[in-house]
Parts: sequence; C-alpha cells; structure tokens
Amino acid sequence: MSLDQFVQYLVSGLSQGSIYALVGLGFTLIHAVTRIINFAQGEFVMLGGMMSFVLIRSAGIPMPLALLMSIAIAVVIGALLYALGIRSARKASVVSLIIITIGAAILIRGIVAEVWGVDPVRPPFFTGDKPLPFLGASIHPQALWIIGTTAVVTILLHLFLTHTTLGKALKASSVNPKAASLVGIDPRVMGLVAFSTAAALGAMGGVVMAPLTATRYDAGIMLGLKGFVAASIGGFTSPLATVAGGITVGVIEYVAIGVNWGPFTSSYKDAIALVILLLILLIRSGKLAAEERAS
Amino acid sequence: MSEETILEAKRLGRSFGGIVALENLDLTLAEGKISAIIGPNGAGKTTLFNLIAGVYMPSSGEIHFEGKPLGNAPPHKRAALGIARTFQNVLLFDNLTVLENVMAGQHPRSRYGFFEAALRLPKAHREEETISLKARRYLNLVGLGMYADHNPLSLPLGQQKLLTIARALATEPKLLLLDEPGAGLNALEKEGLSELIRRIRDMGITVILVEHDMDLVMGIAEWVVVLDSGQKIAEGTASQIQRDKRVIAAYLGEEEAIE
Amino acid sequence: MTLDRVRRRWTWLASALMLALLALIPFDWFLSQYTGLMIFIGIYTMVTVGLCLLMGYTGQVSLGQAAFFGIGAYFSAILSKTYGINPWLAMAIGAFATGSFAYLIAFPIFRLRGNYLAMATLGLGIIIFILFRQLGQYTGGPEGMAGIPFLSMGGLTFDTPFKRYFLVWAFCLATLLIAQNIVGSRTGRALRAIHGSESAAESLGINISLYKVKIFVLSAVFASLAGSLFVHHLRYVSPQPFDFLASVLIVVMAVTGGLASIWGAIFGTATIRILGDELLPRLENLATLKAWHIDYLNIIIYGLLLILMMIFMPQGLFVSLRDAFHRWRLKFSPKGANP
Repeated sequence: MSLDQFVQYLVSGLSQGSIYALVGLGFTLIHAVTRIINFAQGEFVMLGGMMSFVLIRSAGIPMPLALLMSIAIAVVIGALLYALGIRSARKASVVSLIIITIGAAILIRGIVAEVWGVDPVRPPFFTGDKPLPFLGASIHPQALWIIGTTAVVTILLHLFLTHTTLGKALKASSVNPKAASLVGIDPRVMGLVAFSTAAALGAMGGVVMAPLTATRYDAGIMLGLKGFVAASIGGFTSPLATVAGGITVGVIEYVAIGVNWGPFTSSYKDAIALVILLLILLIRSGKLAAEERAS
Repeated sequence: MSEETILEAKRLGRSFGGIVALENLDLTLAEGKISAIIGPNGAGKTTLFNLIAGVYMPSSGEIHFEGKPLGNAPPHKRAALGIARTFQNVLLFDNLTVLENVMAGQHPRSRYGFFEAALRLPKAHREEETISLKARRYLNLVGLGMYADHNPLSLPLGQQKLLTIARALATEPKLLLLDEPGAGLNALEKEGLSELIRRIRDMGITVILVEHDMDLVMGIAEWVVVLDSGQKIAEGTASQIQRDKRVIAAYLGEEEAIE
Repeated sequence: MTLDRVRRRWTWLASALMLALLALIPFDWFLSQYTGLMIFIGIYTMVTVGLCLLMGYTGQVSLGQAAFFGIGAYFSAILSKTYGINPWLAMAIGAFATGSFAYLIAFPIFRLRGNYLAMATLGLGIIIFILFRQLGQYTGGPEGMAGIPFLSMGGLTFDTPFKRYFLVWAFCLATLLIAQNIVGSRTGRALRAIHGSESAAESLGINISLYKVKIFVLSAVFASLAGSLFVHHLRYVSPQPFDFLASVLIVVMAVTGGLASIWGAIFGTATIRILGDELLPRLENLATLKAWHIDYLNIIIYGLLLILMMIFMPQGLFVSLRDAFHRWRLKFSPKGANP
C-alpha cells in the first residue's frame, strides 16, 4: 500500500471513527446517568441522516434549517423514549429497560421503513464534493465536516460537563445518584437530559455522515454496535477514551480493508469491530479475575 | 480443657481507597465458643465480618480457618469449607417458600447436578429426600416448622431472621457468623435468639456475632473482642470487657460525639 | 383452597387438554392445514424456552440465540449433506459444538458485572451471521444449501410433515420436561436463589457465575437441536433465518411468554408465529386500502409489543393471564379463598 493510499484509508477511518465516537459518547452519557444501555442509540444516527434527506429533498427546506430540524426531531424522540418508555416502567429491572430500548429501536426502524421505504438515501453534501488534495491523496470535504464536527462537539461536551451547572449536575448524578438527589438534583431530569443529549449527539453524527455514506432504515444496527465498542473502550465513563476508542475502531476498519489480506477484507469489515468488542470483554474480565486473585 | 483455634487473623488489614477500615488486626478465636465482636460505629466490625466471609479480600495480612489459610477463596467456596453467615439486611429469597429457603442452604452438602436433575435419576430423588428432611429439621430447630410452605415475606422480621439462621445452619457449618442478629427484635425475641444461639453452640458450631445490643452480647458471649476505628482495643470475657477503661472510653467518646 | 392448589389442579387439566389437542392437529379431519405452522412453533419453542430460563434466572438477555439456532442448523446440514454423516450423529455433534462454544464465551461475559451479555451476544450473533454468509465453500453462501437428507429412525423416515410433526413435538416436549425437571431440582433452587439475592446465594455455597454459564450453555444446546430439526424439515439452509432480527424475534417470543416460565414459552412462541405467519399476511391483503405496504408492519408491532410488555406486563403475557385467571377462579370458588 502506497503512502497516498494509506492516507486515504486513514482519513476515511478517521471520519468513520468520528461517527462511532459520537455514538459512543451517547452510550456513555446514558449509561453513566441511568445505568441503561440504550439500544436505540444507533437509530438516532440513522434518523439524523434520514430526516435531513426527507426535509431537504422531499420538503424542500433549506439545508441549514433542515439539519437543525433533523437534530431537533431526534432529540424529541429521545426525550419521548425516556419519558414514555423508561419512566413509565418505574420499578423495572435494568434488563427490562434495555429490552424497552430494543423495542424502541426496531419500532423506529419499522416506522422509517414503512413511511420512507428501504432504499438507501443520500442527502446533499454540505459544501459540494470536489475532493481536496492532501499528502498526495484526495479527501472528500464532507469527511472534513465529519471530523471537524466531532472535534467541536467533543470539546463543547467537555466544556458543558465541566463548566456548566447542568453539566456538573449530570456528572454528579452519574457518580452517585443518591447523593446527587440529596442535594436537589432530580434524577428524572438528569435522565431526560442524558437521553436528549445522546440523541442530539447521534443525530449530529447522522446529518454529517449521511451525505457521504448514504443511509438506510437499518443503518442503525451496526452504527450502534460500533459506537458501543467505542464506549466500552472508554469504560462507559471517560468521554475522551470513548472518542479515542471510536476513532481507533474506524481507523483499524479502514486500514484493514486497505491491507486486503486474509480475513481483512471489506466483507468482513463489520466483523472487525465486533471482534474488538469481544477482545475488550475478554481482557476486562481477565483483569477482573486477576484482581480478585490478587485481592 | 484444650481449646482448638478455629479462626485466626494475622496482621489483617483492609482499606477502601484512602480509608483504612481495618488495621493490623491479630485475632484468635476458639472453637466451640460464642464470641462477639463489638465496638462503636465505624469500628470495622462489618468489614471484619465480610473479610471472614470472603466478600472482601484483605489488603494486608491473612485469615486462617482451622489452621489453613483462606487466601482468596470466594464466598461460595468458604461455605463449602464450613463458614456460614447471616446478613444484617436479612436477604431472604422471596421467590422461594420458607422451606425452600432452608433447602437452598443444603446446597454445599448435596451433589447431584444438571444431568441427574434433567433426567430425574434416582440419585436426584434420593438426595432431594435428604435435603427436604434436613431442611425441616433445621426449620423446626428455630421454631418455624409450621410455616414451611409460606411465603417468607409473610413472616414478621424476627421470624425472618430466624429463617435466615436456619438457612445458614442448613449448610452444616463449623463456624456461623451472625451479623447483627438482634437488630429490630423485641425483648422477647431477643431472649429466644439467645436461647437459639446457645443451642447452636451446644451442637458444636462456633458462633461469632457482631452486635450492638450490649445486654444480648454480655448475656451469651464467652469471649468479646472490641474494635475501635479499625483496631482491636481490647478482648476478654464479658465481665473483663465491661470493666475495661479503654472500652468505656471508646463508647463514651461516641456518646460525646453524638452530643 | 389455596391459590397454589387451584393452580396445580388447573395445570393438570390444561396440560391434558393441550396434549390431546396437539396429538390431533395433524389429522386431515381436524386441523392438518396448520401442521406446518405447528412444526415451526414446536421448533422455535425449543429456542424460546432456553431464553426464558436465561432471562428469568440470570436477569440478562441474549440477543444472539438465532446464532446458536443457526450453528446447529449448519452443522446438521453440512455434516449430513456434504460429508454424508448420519444425521443424528450430526445433530449431536452440532449440539456439542454449540454448547462448547457457548461455554467458552460465557465465562468472560458472566464474570463482568453489568449488562454486557446483551451487546456481546448481539455482536457475536452478527459475526456468526456474517460467517454463514461469507464462508461460501462450506455453507453455500447467501443462497444456502439444498438437498439436506431427512431424519430417519430404524425403518421410519420422516419424509412427510405428518411424521415430522410428531418428531418435532416429541423433541419439544422433551425439552420442556427437561427444563421443568431442572427448575424443580437443587439446580433450579440455586438458580432461583441467585435470582432472589446473589449475595445470599453465594453465602450458601452457590457459585453464581458457574450457574449462569450453565444456563447459557443449556439455552444454546436447546437452540442448536432446534436448528437441526429445522433443516431436516425444510431440507434447505440459508443464513437468512439466523440474522439479528431473528434473535430479536426470539426475545419477543420469550417476553410474550414470560421469563422464567417454561410453559409460557409455548404460548409466547405460538402467539408470535401465528401473528407473523397467519394474521399479518392476511392484513396485507386487506391493505389494498391504499399503498400501505404492510411490509414492515410486523417489525413495528414487535417493537411495540416489547415496549408495552416490559412496561405493563414484565412477567410476560402468559404468566399475567394465568395468574389473573386463577385469581378470578378463586373469587368464585365455593370454599372461599384461604391464603
């Protein structure tokens, strides 16, 4: 593989990995605050892309407005999922809540398939599609949008969590929900904020990604899974590690395709992230066992 | 009168992050006796209990049971070795009947597994008979025989605690750890409890209890160990402890702090 | 009469009735047009009951049961068709392979606290699906393999739906019976204890992760056997019935039936299969009321079912209905309630 080919794959991996990072941040946020694994996380990404296409192409709404509306729609759905799905279940076990998110995921998927069909759709590029030269390779401007958006969002999220009252309340709630509620932080509000923010993060990823990769009613499954891998790398607690994890997965995926040797081919691309996931779980549990032995 | 040591702790310590719950504890407890571990709040009593039961692993030092080190054996292995315990917050199986709760205690003393169970082999049948019989015996021992088929939550707290003692006894332990058995009991129930503990001792089982009720402790304990702020400050017979100046100071100090 | 005694009387009655019904269905003068449907219900019940036990007793959900179903299916298909091995032996080998595989992955997963099983099995299920699709030289790729031989025993070959119906239901009922036996045994007690309080169960010598692993392996073996029966029924195997949605469907069946309820598994499986195979297709014909392509209506309904079940009837539709029925009966019993 030549240098410019490598750079090509690297950038593709970086941009794809950025999406995984955003999805992963959503997982981490929700898990930290509510201990739930939100299986509908990937669907928010799909919704972002799908809605932007529908609004721009079918409804003729100008792009900037359409993008904002797409994110807003996802946020509303995320909030509804929390308010109607999670809150209603009251004393339900964590497993029941997880199943509710699974149900929500396939419900969203089914509705999208029902209303807008199953064909892939591609919203228009933000700034056209003239490739930009870089280190001998040509980079699609949309890829830069993806990477840039992720970087900005990550920084904003970090600032939000550390410098705003709401953000700090969220962190407090994730560390110790009981203590947080004792000082007046309502866990229900925190849950709502977590779900809404996670939906926004996913949808943002979706709107920047869809023009480049197109999107389909079932795009959410693999995106959700890979975002989960990113979140696992971050231990479901560290946003920074999550982002790093997501990018790593993306890069490995694309470099592996580029190498195109043995099992590292495009047909097995999806399996790579999953194998990473299983490795992480194995390592984690191995460490846990070693900890138990060493006391 | 020779006294065998059943439990020994050597330089036992446990910290949680920066907090030292237990420090440099040396402990020798005799077999077949009723021993009590007391001390003001935060003294480390529950930590010690959990270390013996295997819920926590020591940060330093070690625990020997019947002369052999327990090492990092997890709780389920310790039950098989003969260490049984009850819990401060009861922890009944509310999805099993009263009798089934005690039958569950027979788990480490029975063998048949998936295969025999799946095919209903005679071995499974025989063992089930034994389990059921023994469980009834323990249930009768604590006086709950007539409630065998009831839902455990239908029992008042005092009887729920007796049930967990029966359940722990069903593991046929050599050492029984009772975690605040008297908490929440009225005077009459506490008397019954003392009686029961003496009967358990007479069965040859060593009993260690963590308890706050001084009357209960002084009434049955043959040996008392006093902890304060993670360290042993005194040990001896009940009457020795009652006169020990350090012990009095530790408890008085607690009273002053509350004021 | 106590609630329990009423329950036991009715269980006997209901079981006898059900068995009679089951035995009569494949006859032409009765309901033989549903033989095919019933065969699928029998096969899928074997998968569902494993998941019911897993979810009911470990409190974790597996999103990859279809993968185990598929492994059993492909082992049977490949060994019996490509290598000419005796189908029964192939089935046993498949079950052993699936069980071993489940054993290997279960240990690391169950050691972790928290709900990693869901995602781990999701990921694993997808990997296995990809393998089914990609390893074309063995599996026949996306188009699959045909010409899988029938099962036969002595002189009897299971070459008609009628014969296969009884074979499948013999397996299915045996599976349910085994599950029942296990639940009523020391093992079942240990599992229920774990469900009641893990700390207390541990203090009684119960090795929690070991039991969770065992239940997971059991569910995998049941699914594998079902998969073998599946391919010897259709004489054809392809990756399609073993994808992620199939795993989700099995969860829907388990949830509808009731977690930790063995007989609920039949109910849940039957409900969903009848819904998907009989009711919804009929609705499709009705929907000439417009271009309301009801293609994905089934997914929407399953999604709603999962959500509503978990919110309003977390013990499952079957268990809720059964308990409600018994309470109603108790109200009108002449001897009055005696709790």
